[in-house]
Amino acid sequence: MAASLPPQDRFRTAERRRDLRATLFQFDQPAFWFYVVIVVVTGWYAISRQNVFHHISPSGWVLSWGLLIVYALPVFLAVYLLDLYEREPMSLVVASVVWGAVAATTLAGLADQGWGLVVARLGGPEFASRWTAALTAPWVEEALKVAGVVLVCLIAPNRVDDMMDGFVYGSMCGLGFAVVEDVFYFVGVFGGTTSGVLEGFYVRVVSSGLYGHVMFTGLAGMGVAYCLSRNGQASLRRRVGVAVGLFAAAVVGHFLWNSPWLDLFPSGLSSVGDWLLIPLAAAVKGLPLAAFVIIAVWLARRRERRWLHAALSSELGTPGISASELGVLLDPVARRRSVRQMRTRAGDRAASLLKRLQREQVNLAMIRARSVPDHDPELVRQRKQCKSIRDALMAMPGAAPAARPTAAPYGSA
Amino acid sequence: MDSRSALGSDASGGLPPPVAGPPMDRRPRSSAILPPLLMTVAILVVVSGGYVAAGALSERVGPPVMIGGAVRVSPLSGWQVARRFTDPPGVRFTRGVGNLDVLAASFAGDASGVARRYVDRSLKPNAVRLSVSPSTVPVRLGSGLEGVRLHYVGSFGGEQASVEGEVTAFVTPSGIGVVFDAWAPQGLLQYVVDDTRAMIEDAAVG
Repeated sequence: MAASLPPQDRFRTAERRRDLRATLFQFDQPAFWFYVVIVVVTGWYAISRQNVFHHISPSGWVLSWGLLIVYALPVFLAVYLLDLYEREPMSLVVASVVWGAVAATTLAGLADQGWGLVVARLGGPEFASRWTAALTAPWVEEALKVAGVVLVCLIAPNRVDDMMDGFVYGSMCGLGFAVVEDVFYFVGVFGGTTSGVLEGFYVRVVSSGLYGHVMFTGLAGMGVAYCLSRNGQASLRRRVGVAVGLFAAAVVGHFLWNSPWLDLFPSGLSSVGDWLLIPLAAAVKGLPLAAFVIIAVWLARRRERRWLHAALSSELGTPGISASELGVLLDPVARRRSVRQMRTRAGDRAASLLKRLQREQVNLAMIRARSVPDHDPELVRQRKQCKSIRDALMAMPGAAPAARPTAAPYGSA
Repeated sequence: MDSRSALGSDASGGLPPPVAGPPMDRRPRSSAILPPLLMTVAILVVVSGGYVAAGALSERVGPPVMIGGAVRVSPLSGWQVARRFTDPPGVRFTRGVGNLDVLAASFAGDASGVARRYVDRSLKPNAVRLSVSPSTVPVRLGSGLEGVRLHYVGSFGGEQASVEGEVTAFVTPSGIGVVFDAWAPQGLLQYVVDDTRAMIEDAAVG
């Protein structure tokens, strides 16, 4: 069928087929339909809850969402852009946010209440009032949020190939959860008045926003990604061990956050000192795990860079990639700069083509990393693909710098 | 063909068509269904496990307690009789800081009247400060007897801390007004209210 199509259409057909593997909409995957059913069912309940909050305080509800969007957008971008070499498909990223905001919050609300009854039955009301949040929410909420990462892995199994991917999807689940939970707190606990919402925003977002659900589930998501992406590289025992260990770290961090231990938070906000104490109190509880997460992300990014270098070093000298191109590809700053420079020199189309060349070279690394033979048809095909894009790019006016024919053809490392 | 002209209309148009990629990852249907099924089970356990466990922990212990010849209450595990009242006849069940007062006396009127009378004659005279919910909500026992429920917050007697409570009132067909007052220090009622509601639900009234 494809052979009878004109070249452009054949190209698009192949691209579309490949893109299909990189979206949420995998209609032949039972996991996709499972995701849809859960989100639709819980979505009905989530909307009814938002209606209640809106009814309680219409202006407070709007202000809450407005403030939280201002907070969530930069966090979303920061997490999304953390993945240096291979940005995750937007539909899967958005699906993660929706899972956290709709499914995880609704299911966690029910589950927290049920396990709260157990704590109250076993410990009595005084114990329960101090410890329920610490003994129920951490494991219940982390399990339900990280289920979103597992679902993404099941829906698009080829997309999660590194720990950074797990961090991105996990953090997005956590971000969705945090936003909806904050609306609940701003209206339901801080009263929903303008001053109450602003107070809640200061306490829960300005002072503590760095340490919450985004970080916890990012960590747990890294464990899921490690477990699923290291098949063949690490033993099952090690993979499961790392996943369980990182999930446990997220739960322990969440437990410390919710527990009465190390609680330096003031009982009210009656003086300037109280306001200043809140960020300090939040840091005491949240900073240790935040440091752990930052180190884990830094290690994952370093590993990602090493992986790319190792995979593409053996491709040097083939039509797939040159040494200068590899230098640019390995450095995210140089990579962005090269695209910017290309746009200045040769226009938007050339910049877009260069971005695609870099993306295809990352795909080349992924094929190479599967330890396929040098003449594997898929590898050869990908090299040709890279070459053809490069040739097309170099043929564009202004794309090739005339003064440096032997140096980096489209930028500098 | 000039690659520039091709790229002028479509950035990819002048490129040689790539051979179709590797076949898409399609696992056998049975193995693709298994993980979502396992996830369903896991989510069900997490969401409903607490209710099941709490139900298993909420056993009726000891003999039922008779109040005013009209109400029989079976205390759940952890609850015990702390005090008995004579006028009107009643019993206080306690679990930690949580309490359930059960009172029964003849009454001519409906359940709302019983609830109002309890607030006026028992709560208000002892309250330093009292705030009662402006309306009542209907409740229905397993036996079909209908009643009302209201909430209050207040400070009573020499106690420093505020108390919050939930009053549930019924009138039996034989004309006995029955009041259940579940109360605890403010903020703690939520941790006992499921117990008290379960005991009210199971009480034999009439």
